[in-house]
Amino acid sequence: MKRNTVRVLGGALLSLALAAAMTGCGEATPEGGGDEGDCKGKIGFMGALSGGNSSIVLPSWNGAQLALKQFTEKNSDCKISLVEFDTEGDPAKASPVASKIAADKTFLGVIGGAFSGETRQTKATFDAGLVTMISQSATATDLTTDDPAKVFHRVVGHDETQGTAIAKYLTDVLKAKQAFVVNDGTAYGAPLAKKVVDTAGSVVKAQDTVQEKQTDFASTISKIKAAKADAVFYAGYANEAGPFLKQLRGAGVKAPFVGGDGLYGVDFPKAAGSQAEGAVVTCPCQPAAEAGGTFATDYQKEYGEEPGAYAAEGFDAAMIFFEAIQGGNTTREKIEEFVDNYDKDGVTKRLKFDDKGDVDLAAVKIWTYKIEGGKLVPGEEIPLD
Amino acid sequence: MDIANLIENLGEHTVNGLSKGSIYALVALGYTLVYGVLKLINFAHSEVFMVGTWTILGTYTVLGATEDATGSWIVLAFLLAALVAAALASASTALVIERIAYRPLRRRNAPSLIFLITAIGFSLALMEVFGYVLARFFGPPFGRGTVTIPTLVPRSTLFEIAGTSIDNIDVIVVVAALVMMVGLDRFINQTRLGRGVRAVAQDPDTAALMGVNKNQVIMLIFVVGGALAGVAALLFTMKFSITKFDIGFVLGLKAFTSAVLGGIGNIRGALLGGLVLGVVEVYSSALISSNWEDVTAFVVLVIVLMFRPTGILGESLGKARA
Repeated sequence: MKRNTVRVLGGALLSLALAAAMTGCGEATPEGGGDEGDCKGKIGFMGALSGGNSSIVLPSWNGAQLALKQFTEKNSDCKISLVEFDTEGDPAKASPVASKIAADKTFLGVIGGAFSGETRQTKATFDAGLVTMISQSATATDLTTDDPAKVFHRVVGHDETQGTAIAKYLTDVLKAKQAFVVNDGTAYGAPLAKKVVDTAGSVVKAQDTVQEKQTDFASTISKIKAAKADAVFYAGYANEAGPFLKQLRGAGVKAPFVGGDGLYGVDFPKAAGSQAEGAVVTCPCQPAAEAGGTFATDYQKEYGEEPGAYAAEGFDAAMIFFEAIQGGNTTREKIEEFVDNYDKDGVTKRLKFDDKGDVDLAAVKIWTYKIEGGKLVPGEEIPLD
Repeated sequence: MDIANLIENLGEHTVNGLSKGSIYALVALGYTLVYGVLKLINFAHSEVFMVGTWTILGTYTVLGATEDATGSWIVLAFLLAALVAAALASASTALVIERIAYRPLRRRNAPSLIFLITAIGFSLALMEVFGYVLARFFGPPFGRGTVTIPTLVPRSTLFEIAGTSIDNIDVIVVVAALVMMVGLDRFINQTRLGRGVRAVAQDPDTAALMGVNKNQVIMLIFVVGGALAGVAALLFTMKFSITKFDIGFVLGLKAFTSAVLGGIGNIRGALLGGLVLGVVEVYSSALISSNWEDVTAFVVLVIVLMFRPTGILGESLGKARA
């Protein structure tokens, strides 16, 4: 009998390990790289291109492809290709992708990681291989403060700024007196929640930590009811926040709901259904209409929809790489040097990286988006001072 | 440790735990039945549940059931249709698994480890059918994202006991699970077919000599276990209104844990294990935070197995005694 139990447990562990090892890595080269001329190279794109959180990554992949299209139209002698790597946003799936890109010398750089967890997991690998990373959307503060990797850059602000803005939104705009903060325990959610709690101080009455893949939030909702919360902030991703909000409203809690940029995209209103109406999502990304140049109209024309989450940031990150390659920087060392010294206006903001790889934080603006009719409608900019 | 929160809201946490545990228990029955007869862990059972949730979505879509559906008779008809469809789909899935994945191996007297591998393989294959293959052919809602299923019965407070409000959904879930459980217990212990199941579980060779058709009994337990997973799928979608290609994975693991906790192979053990696991999880998330529930659940499992290696009630489908 004892042996049966051992076998049973072993089986459970085995199945866990197998499921974790399941890969969903797709690869597609839009155009094959040519052989002639100096202006050529391959750039990787790493992020959640499928799964319950893909709607905050797919627009930036579209943005990067749009950048490639516009760039190739102007510079027909350049043979640059973008290669997509789907990680489903899972750090465990991002590791092999990073090793693959780092080992393949034809890759000159990588756009990503799109999420903070996968970025934290892979930046050492990219650093060792000297593969320049430009992230369009990894916002965890510690990516540039703890164990900085010299190859890491990002064209978005970080959660220090977003956290402060969310705290201000809770206290100044919603006038919350007893806010409840939920985080999903990820590399992104936990520090963002901490920043909000630290900034908002005593306004945050209680907190709870949930986990990825959780579907039952009954005990968290009991805590929210017990705390008589007048505002709920969720730091995490759409995959869990959708069902969470649905259950929260189903249980009769009417308090305003605020989420971070992890909820930006159509996945969140889709997963929460009609209950998402009126929920507010913040993002260190400007509404498409605020982006410079003709980006918004070009994107609309190309994809038949308005630019979604981080589309403009994806465009900017890609353009930096393309300009580097065009300038004859076709080794990893030269690309890194070019990006470190980059200083130009991008679509989203002035693009110049400090020694840690962050953009000028004064240029970062945090916006709110309200969910109306299942769509994210730009709200207001949260003033930071 | 937020002991005050646990004590102040003990009633609510207990209700949440029982409601959660009831679904674990219903799924756990599938593991327990198959293990009791074949001494085999059917890891593909979590996907039997998953197929049930998708069938419910399909039924609602075909019948045009939306959240705006009014009139209790119409809603009841939708729910009944979904229940029948889910039970049928899940039972057929379970049967297909047994015919394709297990029976050919059994005929060749394959070692038990091989069954485990095919079970996991079938489980992954079924997940990818919904997460990838169907998405390729039909697009959304299939794919890797979370899909919403209309909430036909909105959550509302049914009555209050000592300051704890009891919601209609939780009552439906717990009562339905208990009814299924009692029904199955009666079926196994008091009917002719149930006697066959017990006979095969105790001693397949002697049972065959006594005229019990072993293959029929095996098919029967897969069908019954599958149908119960279909019922669990309906209760799950009423409670959470979502599905996903890998929705069965975590739930299946928990249900399997419940089965082991209560004593795998033991029907009453599955019920007890499920309820205990659900309540322990909710209490631990009330005490610390929700991300501790898995840790606590498995610590409890380890502790119980240390003192009772065959689970709380012991392994005994054959003897069918609690």
